Amino acid sequence: MFDTILIANRGEIAVRIIATCREMGIRTVAVYSEADRDALHVLEADRAVLLGPSEPSRSYLDMDRIIAAARESGAQAIHPGYGFLAENADFAERCSREGLVFIGPPAQVIRDLGNKTVARRTMAASGVPVIPGMMEPGENPDALKQEAEKIGFPVLIKAAAGGGGKGMRVVRSPEDFVDACASASREAAAAFGNGDVYLEKFIEKPRHVEFQILADSFGNVVHLLERECSIQRRHQKIIEETPSPALTPELRRRMGAAAVAAARASGYVNAGTVEFLLDSQGGFYFLEVNTRLQVEHPVTEMVTGIDLVRRQIEIASVMPLDLSQEEIIGRGHAIECRIYAEDPLSDFLPSPGKISFIREPKGPGIRNDIGIYPGYTVPVEYDPILSKLIVHAQSRPACISRMIRALKDYVILGVLTPIPFLVDILSSEAFSAGKTSTDFIDTHFSDWMPALKDTDLAALAFVVDEAVNHGSQAAAVTRQEYSPWKALGHFRP
Amino acid sequence: MKYTIRIAGKDIPVEADFTEKGVVKAVIDGRTVTARYRVVAPGGIHFELDDGRGVNAYLAPDHEGKLVNVGGITYLVQDAGTLARAAVRRRGVKELPKEVTPPMPSVVVRIMVAEGDQVEQGQAVAVVSAMKMETTLQAPFSGRVARVNVAEGEKVMPGQVLVDIVREKETAA
Repeated sequence: MFDTILIANRGEIAVRIIATCREMGIRTVAVYSEADRDALHVLEADRAVLLGPSEPSRSYLDMDRIIAAARESGAQAIHPGYGFLAENADFAERCSREGLVFIGPPAQVIRDLGNKTVARRTMAASGVPVIPGMMEPGENPDALKQEAEKIGFPVLIKAAAGGGGKGMRVVRSPEDFVDACASASREAAAAFGNGDVYLEKFIEKPRHVEFQILADSFGNVVHLLERECSIQRRHQKIIEETPSPALTPELRRRMGAAAVAAARASGYVNAGTVEFLLDSQGGFYFLEVNTRLQVEHPVTEMVTGIDLVRRQIEIASVMPLDLSQEEIIGRGHAIECRIYAEDPLSDFLPSPGKISFIREPKGPGIRNDIGIYPGYTVPVEYDPILSKLIVHAQSRPACISRMIRALKDYVILGVLTPIPFLVDILSSEAFSAGKTSTDFIDTHFSDWMPALKDTDLAALAFVVDEAVNHGSQAAAVTRQEYSPWKALGHFRP
Repeated sequence: MKYTIRIAGKDIPVEADFTEKGVVKAVIDGRTVTARYRVVAPGGIHFELDDGRGVNAYLAPDHEGKLVNVGGITYLVQDAGTLARAAVRRRGVKELPKEVTPPMPSVVVRIMVAEGDQVEQGQAVAVVSAMKMETTLQAPFSGRVARVNVAEGEKVMPGQVLVDIVREKETAA
């Protein structure tokens, strides 16, 4: 087992990884950029090494600096978290060349699964259902159009090297195909340096259902049940849950078996996630494998009781998995809500700023993976995730009620958050009924406005604060009355 | 005590009576509300409402007023004194900007014009990024770039003018 691990990440995920390391008696090394001197992960780690300026390319993505930091601090292994270098095959390779353990799958596995058409071929060859479509990418629009006719419209054009919705187009009729194909290819070339695209059958109103897998270096592979992540905006998940309201035990068994087959087919080692699209008839199709710890991994931890980061570290130190598939049982229901610094009323624009107050929700079955603290300034340079609120309860209805309660108890002042939006989604009939497909927000919440029920109470709180505390500083200034006490501001004894 | 309070875009008259200790009797926009209250800590008030509910409110000062969180929602609550100024600022942000300024604290990714350049209304002049999301700032009107005030990589705030543009007419005159 390692005695020191470097965490090549920041924010809530770095803090969460440090927590498990401490439970395992492993020393932790944080890395940080100049913008993150006061970040929580820096304060939680045993040691912290400055990487460089705030730009990710000169800090969290700078392989040379990270390897050097590992050397300097005596770390034997590097946990990449999610994002940044987590799915970078070159980084994984570099680590092993330098004699450091990359806590994740082997470089070749990352590379193969990162190439979508290679991944599709591998999966199809081992009997994992894939979306009907092309096995080889292409560039010639006319040849591609013939393929589209074969698959049948609507089709989805995707970038071979892509992700995150870039270079993606839905085409519903043959007349639009050539133009859409050319623009997708241009976008892909600009974003990934590779204009190759491929075609898939477009699945209407799908659910996004993924299976967590664990694989050790001795050929043992298990799945840790599913997560449903259909509630998305701009292709970004915001609410995840397990179990999926759409899965029967039989479907779960078949999808789980397919996920394990996918892991075996790719020679997978460590923790990973096999993503599927599930159509309304119960047909499921391989989407991709995420070769990292997922943002939403805590819901799996809640229902299975298995610490995924601990398992990642054990597998990376070549310990065998002591878990059989039969031992993995999901108990109850878990939901995660992602809390971003964003304005739900202004098209979810980022809302960086200084946190003036935090009150975290507490109580049975509540977990909050948080990367901020009062007084901390949320930097403009990075992903706007502040925390992930996860709740666990015996049943889905109880879990939904618990999440609504926890969200209403969660107070963050200083930056805007989507908490009121999340409360309304969880309170909706469509969510209660489990009618969660990837177009859920567009269908039910496209012109959402918060119901401002408590404006009278807020006004009452304002006047009580004025009367009792003689007003806050800001109010004192605006009332334009002179008082030596108010003029003293912060320095009032 | 009488206030005019701006909340959720509306101005509402509030009259509050604190004569009984620990009790506030208020008339808010014509509605009578009575509640027992306790100030628990700076920024925390516990209410016992006459409908039987207990409710906590959390407050923090903000440069435009006070942030008040109650029932899972944070409200910006302002005193009448701030209204005029805030309203002007708000309008400046919501309507078509007259200046090249970012909508939120950001980092300058790219400046696409140089001093002396002629620009058309709507032409992209700068790209800023906040939390991995890029926003393109456009020229508010046609004219000539008089000055570029920032460099790529610099942190900028809303209201800060990144590029000064002189209107076409003014240039001609």
